[in-house]
Amino acid sequence: MKDRKTTHFGYQEVPVEEKAGRVAEVFHSVAARYDVMNDLMSGGIHRLWKRFTIELSGARPGQKILDIAGGTGDLTARFSRIVGDSGQVVLADINESMLRVGRDRLLDRGIAGNVVPVQADAQYLPFPDNTFDCITIAFGLRNVTDKDLALRSMLRVLKPGGRLLVLEFSKPESKLLGKVYDQYSFRLLPFMGKLVANDAESYRYLAESIRMHPDQETLKQMMEDAGFVDCEYHNMTGGIVALHRGIKP
Amino acid sequence: MSDPTYRAGFDAALETAINTALQYDPATRARLQELDGKVMALDLTAPKLQCCLCIEGDQVFVRQHWEGDVTTSISGSAISLVRLLKDPDATPAALGVSISGSSALLAELQWMMSDLDIDWEAPLAQLIGDIPAHSIGNVLRSAGSWLSASLSRAPVAAAETISEEWQLTPPQAQFEAFADDLAELSLATERLEARVRLLQEQFSRREAE
Repeated sequence: MKDRKTTHFGYQEVPVEEKAGRVAEVFHSVAARYDVMNDLMSGGIHRLWKRFTIELSGARPGQKILDIAGGTGDLTARFSRIVGDSGQVVLADINESMLRVGRDRLLDRGIAGNVVPVQADAQYLPFPDNTFDCITIAFGLRNVTDKDLALRSMLRVLKPGGRLLVLEFSKPESKLLGKVYDQYSFRLLPFMGKLVANDAESYRYLAESIRMHPDQETLKQMMEDAGFVDCEYHNMTGGIVALHRGIKP
Repeated sequence: MSDPTYRAGFDAALETAINTALQYDPATRARLQELDGKVMALDLTAPKLQCCLCIEGDQVFVRQHWEGDVTTSISGSAISLVRLLKDPDATPAALGVSISGSSALLAELQWMMSDLDIDWEAPLAQLIGDIPAHSIGNVLRSAGSWLSASLSRAPVAAAETISEEWQLTPPQAQFEAFADDLAELSLATERLEARVRLLQEQFSRREAE
């Protein structure tokens, strides 16, 4: 009998069809405290990473933008202001809890009209070909079961000349920083998760999933293999996070 | 290339400072709204820094990367730019600042900066109440006007101390009289030189005859 196909879930190997469900459990668990934890874990620096992402997106009034794994809507809120009434931002997330928190948060801040929340799987984006001027996926790609499939799906729905921006944890450039970062991720992070969100396991998964995510060069190659051109990346905070950008030819 | 995180942090801090200050000057904010969509690209030569100031609604956004249209581009040192913005009568050429694109945006910002009247008491009042904030405001205003007057008098006072008290340099009047004498002597020397030259020419002609 043929072996079941597996993939990684943090450091564990799980059947491919199980990963999405287990990732969903993690995000159902952390959704309510997601923003607080993000600020706490990064010391607020995640806002600067996202700020740089928005700058490199080159978003303009009137454009259509897809914010995949948009979570609590940080990027969507900023894009909504940039594209204005003539544009549109689609806030997409596979996780219902995260999407609900994001949608409610945007509405509470008076951001509506040009924002559409959509529950969608990055691997099978439910949009016609050549729809968006720009796609962003911030801290979401590492949770996708089949990253190559997701990148091809993103390429399909981008307009020619449109750009994909992948903001994701990556590999620190210096060994010393890497060691400090490891200590922080595997000791302090689960502790903070337990303290603030009463959920150490989800934050342990976060640290493990970061280590299992492709490094800068590998992800760049994956984007090129999917069909993107002019791919480049920018290391941020010593390579803890990298922003990859590719263009649809 | 430097880490984009630092630059993003600097831009975010600058942006927050500008917009927080604008919160307490409603008149400037209203005028800013009329410039919605305008973009000023700054190319600072000292310190070396490039950024774009994008006006969106009544807010200013600082961006390192901007791929859209730029209304006005300005290049020069930071000090020159501050002087240019603070003084509506200042001309870019005199300050070594070069401009391309529309100069109307610069002119509008110059007028806005000269009329800028930030009510610093307002944020303080939110924290400690109106009366204490007003008292502190009065003290700070008095201190500010004293400091400003002292600073404007400082060059004259320093010059007097150096020449009159310490006698390191001659007093200004004495120096000016000396300079006048020197100029007179210089002119007299030139006249004498001319006469000597004339006499030499006459002697030369007589010898030739």
